Amino acid sequence: MGDSLTAGLLILHSLLAVALLGAITHQAVAVKLGPVPAKASFAARYRSVDASAYAGAIVLLFAVGTAIGALLYPSYRTIARPVLELNGLRAANGAFEIKEHLSALGVLMLPAYWAAWRRPLDAEYATARAALTWLLAAIVWWNFVVGDVLTNIKGLFH
Amino acid sequence: MDRGRLLVFSLAAESGYTLAYYFNWPLLIYYPVAGELRVPGQAAAAGFPIFWYGWLASAVVIGVVAAGVVPRRWMRRLPCDLSWIVTIVMIVAALTYEKRWF
Repeated sequence: MGDSLTAGLLILHSLLAVALLGAITHQAVAVKLGPVPAKASFAARYRSVDASAYAGAIVLLFAVGTAIGALLYPSYRTIARPVLELNGLRAANGAFEIKEHLSALGVLMLPAYWAAWRRPLDAEYATARAALTWLLAAIVWWNFVVGDVLTNIKGLFH
Repeated sequence: MDRGRLLVFSLAAESGYTLAYYFNWPLLIYYPVAGELRVPGQAAAAGFPIFWYGWLASAVVIGVVAAGVVPRRWMRRLPCDLSWIVTIVMIVAALTYEKRWF
């Protein structure tokens, strides 16, 4: 893969991650706190959205983001990881290994997540819906922070 | 596709992925330096291998097979809360496995 294509995909990967982070955080807050009658404040409006409206976009963003991450993975292994190893940054390496597993588990849990959010919403799935959303949110936050730190690691540690 | 089948796919695929990386059962192996894809048992290509794609492929196959063979009446009896309980167990397993880096 050429350098400019890698850079372009990395930027696209980051932009998708930002969109996903916003969508999953919004959904997680809405599914946990639920709507409030008075919609005057920003916080009240933030939690009062229809959480189910986000599910399709979240599935798409997670799947496409992970697919682009998979395309970029060989570049990480050949360019970024040797830098981590040469500088003895074992924890950073480990954090990425966890990101790798969480990405896979996140993609594989998407069908269950989709089943939980599919309309008409099934009351039996209420707990699963909230729990899967919070788990997916935790995965997205971990992957975002680790990805961001690793992208900037030279500047952070030198 | 009905909810039961989606649930079975996720449960089986997540468990399959965990077994795949733990016991190193990749369906295929990618060698980025050589730019070659090999199946286990074939001679290694030049450079280091990437197993992640292969573990994911193994997990997807396990998930698809499970979703295809588990009878519908069993799927109806499957508690939907297993979806998040199994996910938590698999995340804890991954964190425990990668503890070696810290």
